[in-house]
Order: sequence, then C-alpha cells, then structure tokens
Amino acid sequence: MKKQRKFWRSIAPYGYVMPISLILLTFVVASLVISVIFSFMKYNLLLPPEFLGLENYKRLLTDEKMHLALGNTLKIMIMVVPLQVVLSVLFATLIAARKNSLAGKIAKAAIFIPVISSSAVVGTVWKTMLNGRNPVIQGFFSAFGIDTGMLLGSSTTAIITVAMIMVWKNFGYYMVLNLASLTAIPDSYYEAAKVDGGGVMQRFIHITLPLLKPAIIMDVFLSVVMSLQSFDLIYTMTGGGPSNSTLTMVMYAYDQTFQNGKAGYAMAVSNLLFLIVLSLLMLQKGFMKREASEI
Amino acid sequence: MKKKMISVLLCAAMVSGLLAGCGGKSEDKGKDGKEKISMWVPALDDAVEENWTPLLEKFEKENNCEIDMEVLPWENYEEKWATGAASQDLPDIGYMYAEMFPTYIDSGAVADMSEYITDEDKEEYLYLDHGYMMDGQYGFPVVTGVPFVLYYNEDILNELGEQPPETWEDFKRICEKATKDTDGDGKIDQYGYAVGFNNGSMNMLYLLNAYFYSLLWQSGTDIYNDDLKSVKFNDEAGVEAAEFFLSLKPYMPENFMSLAAEDAFSTIFGQGKAAFGVTRSSSIQEGLFKESYPNLNWNYVTSLKNKDYGTFGATDCMTLSSQAENPELCMKLIKYITGSEFMTEYHKIASGAPLTKSEPYQGDEKMERIVTEDRDKYRPLQVGPCGSDILTNLASELQAMMEGKKDAKTAMDDAAEYGDAALEEYWADKE
Repeated sequence: MKKQRKFWRSIAPYGYVMPISLILLTFVVASLVISVIFSFMKYNLLLPPEFLGLENYKRLLTDEKMHLALGNTLKIMIMVVPLQVVLSVLFATLIAARKNSLAGKIAKAAIFIPVISSSAVVGTVWKTMLNGRNPVIQGFFSAFGIDTGMLLGSSTTAIITVAMIMVWKNFGYYMVLNLASLTAIPDSYYEAAKVDGGGVMQRFIHITLPLLKPAIIMDVFLSVVMSLQSFDLIYTMTGGGPSNSTLTMVMYAYDQTFQNGKAGYAMAVSNLLFLIVLSLLMLQKGFMKREASEI
Repeated sequence: MKKKMISVLLCAAMVSGLLAGCGGKSEDKGKDGKEKISMWVPALDDAVEENWTPLLEKFEKENNCEIDMEVLPWENYEEKWATGAASQDLPDIGYMYAEMFPTYIDSGAVADMSEYITDEDKEEYLYLDHGYMMDGQYGFPVVTGVPFVLYYNEDILNELGEQPPETWEDFKRICEKATKDTDGDGKIDQYGYAVGFNNGSMNMLYLLNAYFYSLLWQSGTDIYNDDLKSVKFNDEAGVEAAEFFLSLKPYMPENFMSLAAEDAFSTIFGQGKAAFGVTRSSSIQEGLFKESYPNLNWNYVTSLKNKDYGTFGATDCMTLSSQAENPELCMKLIKYITGSEFMTEYHKIASGAPLTKSEPYQGDEKMERIVTEDRDKYRPLQVGPCGSDILTNLASELQAMMEGKKDAKTAMDDAAEYGDAALEEYWADKE
C-alpha cells in the first residue's frame, strides 16, 4: 500500500504537466520544426513538397519585396519601441502618483481599453476617423498642421501613422506592467529622498528609473517582439499599401502562403523573422543577467 | 490521495480530449448509410444556411443522399481551402472565385467537368463559358451578372447639361465640368469621379475590379497573352488605360489615396458629391440605394467604350473535387443548385441574375438591361498562373503611379517585369 502510494506520488507531477506539455509540443515545438523543414522545400499546400535545398533562403537575399518588408518591419520597430516604452513609463509614474484618486483610476482604465480592443476593430475605427471626412478629427489635427485625409494615402506618412496607432493601442499594456513594478518600490525610499531635499526629477532619476530598470528591459523586449510581428492592425488599415509602403514580414509571409501558394518560401521568411526575434531575446537575456548582478 | 487521483484522471481526460481533437476525415457515408456530399460555400447572403437547406432537402430526398454544407466567412475563405488542401480534407464540391482556380487546377485538386456537360446544359446555362478556363470546364457559374458599373448622378449631369457618357472623352469632359466648388468657400466640394484607392481591409484586387480592368478591356487589351506565358497589360493599349486613369486624378477627391473604394462610393458619390462612382451592381439596386442614399437621383452606364466595351463581372463558380467519391451525383447537385428551380426560389430571397434561360428575372426593372442588352459588355477575369501575385503587384504599381512616384509607362513596365518573371519561374517548373 505504501509502495503504491509512493508510486502515484512520484508520477502525479508528470500527469499535471502532461496536457500543457502536449499542447506546447504539438503547437509550438512541432510547428517550429515543421516550419524549418518546409523552408527547404517547394510547397504550395496542395502538392507534395519537393526538396529545394537552400533555394528559398538564397531567394531571401535577392527578393526585393522581401527586403522592402524587412525594412518596413524594422522601421515600425524603431518608431514604436522607444515611444511606447517612454510613454508607458511616463504615464505609469504619473498614475502611480495619483493611484488612489478617481482621475488616476479613470486614466488607467482609459489607457488600458485600447489594449483589450480587437486590433481589427481598432484598425477599422482609425481608418474611418482618418478618412478626412470627420470634421472634429480633421479640425483637431489641422491645428497641428496635419491633414488627416492624406495620412494613410501617402507611402511616406502611412507607415508613421500605423506605427503611431500601434503605440496608442499598446502602450497601456506596458504601463500596467510598469505600474506593478512601481507599486513594489517602498514609499520609505521616496520619503527618505524628500527628507534629504531631493526634488521630483531627482527622485524619478535616482529612485524610480533604477528600480524600474528590469521592468523597462522587459517592456523593450516585449515591445520589440510585438512590433516585429505586427500584422492585423496594419492589414485592416492599409493592407500593406500604398504601393507596399506598410508591407511587413508577417504580412508578406501570409500573402506568400495563402495568395501565392508559396508556403515553403513563406516559412523561410518566417524563420528569418524568428532568428531576428531570437537574437533579440538573447540580447535581452544578457541585459537581464547584468542587471540582476548589479542589483 | 483521492484528490490527487481525481487530478490525474482529469489530466488524462484532457490529454485524451486533445488527442481526439486531432481526428481524421469524416466518413463518406451519412445517416442510414446514405451517400454523403460535402460542400463549402461562403456567406453568399446573411443566412445562406437557412436559405439553402430547405432547397437542398428536395435533392437529398430524391437522390437518397445527405448534403453536408459548411458556410465559411469570406474573410478567410481562401485560407480555409488552402489549409483543407494541406490536410487532404477538401469538400466534394465547393464555391470558388476566379483567382482561386489556377492553383487548384494546377495541382489537380479540382476536376474538369467537360464530360458531364450535355448539349442541353450548353443550351440552358447562360454563362457556362465563364467557367471554362485553362483548357477545361473547371467551374459551373453560380453567381454572375452583377458587374461593376459606372453610376452617375442625374442631377449633376442635368445641371451640367450633359447626357450619360458613352466614351472616355465624354466621361473625362463631364468629370472636369463636375469638379468644382459649389458653395463658394474656395474649396472643391463636388468631384467628377469618386475614387478610393486605398485597399485597407479589402483585397488589393478590389481596386483593379472596380477601376482598372474596365479601362484595360475598353482599350482593347488583357492581362495575359494567349499562351499565358507572359503578360500583356503593358502593351500600348495597357499604358493608354493607365494614362487615362492617371489623367482623371484631378477630378478625384484629394484624399482618394486614403479612402477605401467602398468608402469613396458611399461617402462621396452616395452623398451626392460626385458625378460618377463605381461599385458592384445588384439586381435590387433601387431598393438598396433608396435605403442608403434616399436623396440620390442616380442611373448607370454598364460600360464606357474606347476601342471596345468591358467591365469586370465576377463569375464565381461551383467546382468539383477530383477526389469526389461519386462525381456523377456531385455534378447532379451542382446542376441542381445552379438550375432554374433552385435559383428561382433562392433569388426571391437573395437577389441575383438568372443563371439559366428558364429562370425568370426577378430584379429591378432599372437594372434588367445588365442581363439583357448589356450582357456582352462585362466579362470575368482572365484566369492564368500566378494570378493573385501578378495582379496584387499590378495594383501596387498603380498605387505608386497614382501617388505620383511613377509615370504610367514605368508603372506598367515594372508590373509586367514582375509578372513575366513569376510566369517564367512557373513555366520553368512545369518543364
């Protein structure tokens, strides 16, 4: 009886982790392995795959449309990440200072609402607001010299516009992450600084920022990954246009698979994106390690 | 211990559920051993399942079979087919639009239906030739006769003293006269042509459907050369079409590059702020426009004429899977669905042009000429290899042209270079 109990006790943990392990193995690890295998094949989802060797990867080097998509993806990342992180830290600090007031609570909820809204809905709403036929929106933006009717129609401004809308939609998520870290900072640190004559900026620079650093690094990493994988918001707003100026890598891979029947090549594109994300993950891990040792 | 046992059992149940979810293809025999026909259709109307099921019951009874109809949303219709093909799980019959065909014809996933078509069918079905593509009858038209037409605002034309346009010259002249500031505030508030050239959530090909194929065909050219080995839209006639479209830019709304095509139609033409607008026609257009644009006094021209007539009229088809267990029965079903009895009833609920000689026209009187005297003025898309790729790129090049980044010749040549390279690779693979 004791032996049997011991046996059950020893295998029980494996039973608990089995469902999630199976899900991970089936949908994450297996799909990754399949993606790598098929990226060396000519595959259109209909005919049996044919081995192509490195052809799909060689093609990545010469495919101008892919280079354009890669460039656009990086441009979006460069525009989105710094702004998103700065705004999230700024708003988290402001809201943390008023965390018990009604205004603080309303602001927190208002900033978080776009995060939980569907990207397709957000994209459609913004596209409608920016069609230049909404006098309130048009009037507001024209005060800053911006003609909203033209923003999505020019290949120069379309990418900036979608990047800014991505920032607006997602910075609330990072703000909430930062708020959680901010609340963990003991009030006694700030009180001590105040007693020593530290001003608002000094307290922010010497207490808030250093203690928020691990959260900021996490924000940067998540924001980079999310911006590199941008798809649905842009798809609904511009569909990659005008003249491919907002075409991203994920959108390109999607088109290659479902429109052009080049699933093998699309997987090579996706793997390249995966490598970019992976290298950034390594970089972030390095940062985190250094951070932990400093703390 | 008991708790742990329950936990382990629950986990095991989850795992078995997970594995069961990865089950195989459903059986080909339905209830009571009846033959089962699987069918995929998109959401053709708001309640296609409710509308089709009673009509299909008669066929099921007469043929002792069971029809397993799956209605798929338009947004990921192609995706569903692609993933179904990848998992060898395609239906016996299904609905396809022109751009989808080449890949499935190439891979042998859809069957040539020529052998099942009788002389009576050729006599009865009005648009059978629209389903003939890539040397075979791969489609059996199920939705057609609703081409993109040029709507005009009668009040604006009357005010300008103009008759409905017939030629490109007429059209451009009226556009020029109609584009003006009507309230004297120094800003143009009435336009010649309500164009929206931002694809947004619409498929990029919609821009070509609405605005460009018509000009291409009216100028006497097409997408591919006859051998389908190269494109021809950059020939003299193609460049003329692109130049003409570019020349209309001053008569379009200033923000036409930001507007989606349908938005331009509804918010500009529909509100009486443009002389012309293009959208897909409907046999019940009068009722639809009355509801959406009650103050609009409108009429339409099916197609302008330059060297020829031409506008895009999609012909979506039913197709037969080459893996269908009982192709004869499937063909019988396809003919039943597209036949007079079924469609007469269905078109009472959801508007549509008659597909057969014996089906009566049930739409608005105003729209009837589209399916009678103007029937030769619209056509389906020329189906050829790499269609989506080539045409999506053509639409992008036209966007660059309209944005002022390229002239018409360069845009068309660049699009043709891309298209020819795709076709060269395609044919090289075939050899």
